[in-house]
Amino acid sequence: MPNGLLSRLPKQGRLLGPGTRIKRAALFIFFVVFYTLGAAYHLLLWNIGQPTAFLTFIYHGVILAGYGTLWLLLSSQFDRVRATPAKAFWHTLVLGILLIGLSFVTLNIPGAFNDAGEPLTLTTIVKMNTLSLLEATFFFILLLRFRDLVLFKRTRSSQRNWYLMLAFMLFAVFAAFFNLPGGPGGNDAWRDYLLALAIIPAVTFMVINSFRISWIVHLTFREKMAIIGLSTLLLGLFTLIGVSLQTGDAFDNLMPGVSLYLNNYSYPLSMFMMLAGTFGFLYCITALLSLMFHLPTTSDFQRRADEMAVMHSLTDLVNQVFDPEKLVSTITASPVEAGSADAAWLAIADLETGSLRPRVIATHNIAPALVAEMVDTEAFYEEVLHTKEPVLLEQAHADHRIAAHSGNGLSSLLVIPLSARNETLGALFVTRNVAHGFEKDDVEAISIFAAQAALALDNARLFEEQIEKERLSRELAIAKEVQHKLLPQHLPMLDGLTLAATSVSAQEVGGDYYDFVQLDEHRLAFIVGDVSGKGTSAAFYMAEMQGVFQSVTHIAPDPCDFLTHANRALCNSLEKNVFISVVYGVLDLQEEVLLMARAGHCPAATINLHGESRYVRSQGLGLGLDRGSLFRKTLDVERIPLQPGDVFVLYTDGLVESRNPQGEEYGYDRLLEALRAHRHEDAPDLHASLMADLDRFLGGLRQYDDDLTLVVLKWHGLPLSPAAAATDNTREIYPARAVSLE
Amino acid sequence: MSNFSVGFRANGAVQVLALQGELDAHTASELEAAIQKCKDDHHFQIVINGEHLQYISSAGLGVFMAYIEEVREEGGDIKIAALQPKVFNVFDLLGFPMLFDIVDTEDEAVALFKNGSS
Repeated sequence: MPNGLLSRLPKQGRLLGPGTRIKRAALFIFFVVFYTLGAAYHLLLWNIGQPTAFLTFIYHGVILAGYGTLWLLLSSQFDRVRATPAKAFWHTLVLGILLIGLSFVTLNIPGAFNDAGEPLTLTTIVKMNTLSLLEATFFFILLLRFRDLVLFKRTRSSQRNWYLMLAFMLFAVFAAFFNLPGGPGGNDAWRDYLLALAIIPAVTFMVINSFRISWIVHLTFREKMAIIGLSTLLLGLFTLIGVSLQTGDAFDNLMPGVSLYLNNYSYPLSMFMMLAGTFGFLYCITALLSLMFHLPTTSDFQRRADEMAVMHSLTDLVNQVFDPEKLVSTITASPVEAGSADAAWLAIADLETGSLRPRVIATHNIAPALVAEMVDTEAFYEEVLHTKEPVLLEQAHADHRIAAHSGNGLSSLLVIPLSARNETLGALFVTRNVAHGFEKDDVEAISIFAAQAALALDNARLFEEQIEKERLSRELAIAKEVQHKLLPQHLPMLDGLTLAATSVSAQEVGGDYYDFVQLDEHRLAFIVGDVSGKGTSAAFYMAEMQGVFQSVTHIAPDPCDFLTHANRALCNSLEKNVFISVVYGVLDLQEEVLLMARAGHCPAATINLHGESRYVRSQGLGLGLDRGSLFRKTLDVERIPLQPGDVFVLYTDGLVESRNPQGEEYGYDRLLEALRAHRHEDAPDLHASLMADLDRFLGGLRQYDDDLTLVVLKWHGLPLSPAAAATDNTREIYPARAVSLE
Repeated sequence: MSNFSVGFRANGAVQVLALQGELDAHTASELEAAIQKCKDDHHFQIVINGEHLQYISSAGLGVFMAYIEEVREEGGDIKIAALQPKVFNVFDLLGFPMLFDIVDTEDEAVALFKNGSS
């Protein structure tokens, strides 16, 4: 198609694809062609006279085809935008008035037909063509507009009924084709039967389609009044047009002799138009009557629709809110704001206090004090908890659980359980000022809302828990780091002494402890301790122990003094059921003596070069067990002379109490055995060997469910010559290495 | 999960709590409840029979420490009897024999009460 032609077509709108434009353009072209041919036929008749049957036949076919394309053209135009009911009536009315106006003007141009139905003047032909086009356009648009109303709620059956109506109307058109004056000859009766066969079903479907008025319920009161007016006018219009079409005579009405023109132009077409008009008439009647009957209930429908809308939008809000406080106030406010209740409050199982007693956590439009006074919230909560169903009191003051009179604004009460994940989280209470204030619809709507509210509450709770969990695990990770720093970062280095130490906690933080303080060049204080219990509280006490050790040992290094001070300091902060066991000692490498005391702890193991081993099980109470003088009185301090090769092993009960898969404990004997086997190694190697022996015993299953600490001290002795002691070079035989193993 | 149980018995005027199984952090609350019950019933002369006690942890030991002061304030005591050697060792390491009367048999413990040494 040449571009020039396309550009001359009226702009139909920007949303059209090129395919639709081309289709429309084609339809338009076809229509113009057919219409012109139709007009040409009349001109031909005017000149020639009597037409042949064949030509007539062609003519009618052309006309029908032409108007068929007009229908398709208009249909595709009106497919794009569906009309609102008001618009549909209004447009139809306006077009109708326009039609009448134009017809009136056209008809008053002089022109007439003879008895045979042939036009007498040229203007008659023009009038005929114009009128037909005008009327056809009006009725087509009428049908298309009313189609939107009929198919307002599209279902299979409604669509089918509409198309069947159209089909039978078309059938009538073709039946009318045979009824043409001067048409195919033969018996009249069958033609009438055929026509009846078409018209009767068509009218039946018109009636069926007339009852498709579901668009009425959604209208506001004003809109309904407006359409009542429009449809009344439209009815008047149709009556006028209908009357005009029926009477064949040119009597003094608005459109004199219009039917003559139409019938002579194309009887089938005018049949279609008549049927369309009948449908329009029927539809307007049913619409008008329905509108009038629906007027009184408009406000109820409106209210219901409003409630639904508000509930829906609030439901979304409820799901978005993660702030529990805001959430509960939204939950209680929603039913009242939606108009479904006059007051509301929410009771939640008080999980904080551990009891399941309900607590009123939010109220709307009613004071909490009033709720407490008038309603036995707990009793209702019990009931819905049991039955898991809503409780509806239509005359609330009659119930013994309500201490209100009918004047107090608590006449109807609805209690709905809020359940999520099979658990009842709480109950929503809503009230109305009048008795029997909640209909079945209200109960349903509020129940649906309550279900949403329950989910939202549950979500908010889970969310909070998750955040708390993450926070706690972050805190624990920090605690682990802090505690790690409390343990010695470097092992002290003293001539002639090798050390090794490790501590592994069962959880992120633990109660085991070891520490060293180098008092001076040749004296080292050490401590290994175990707080009763595990986890965070044990870790705190461990930190306190570390503080006490680091400070007091400088001031009071003697084991008895130190431990007495420590006991006094700790007794103040330890709980009644908590105690700390320690082994504390001071190595004097110049005097070559070890002073050691055991306060309730596992006894230190010791072995000498020759393999003689023992546990140093001196008497002593654990720290925190006695707040009086008994501690000091019962504490023994051992004075152990040091020989080169002496090894001291300090540990916590996690070592000796480790069980292998068979359930056997590692035990004290095995420790001594392993010590005996490796006593010639220096501290780091010895430490490793002991751990390896434990691992072997455990069968490779290094899974600690208790804190485990192991400290190894080995005295190698110093070379006797002072000169040699002064320089570093001679320290080859017994190298003093101190390596920190973590 | 460790299994642990406390059996209630009377031996004269003395309330005997017979422990069975493993007493650790998980089961300590049961012993707590038992001693609390004795207190509520005003039985302040309590003997713990550890004949069938297989294991005790620091949490279990803590239970004794938690209640002993109150019980003694009421003029009573908690005495411990018939501990298995391994279990006794745990008590002994901490020095409990210096704080509690720990004897070999239940009757000895009951006798101690009769003799007026609470």
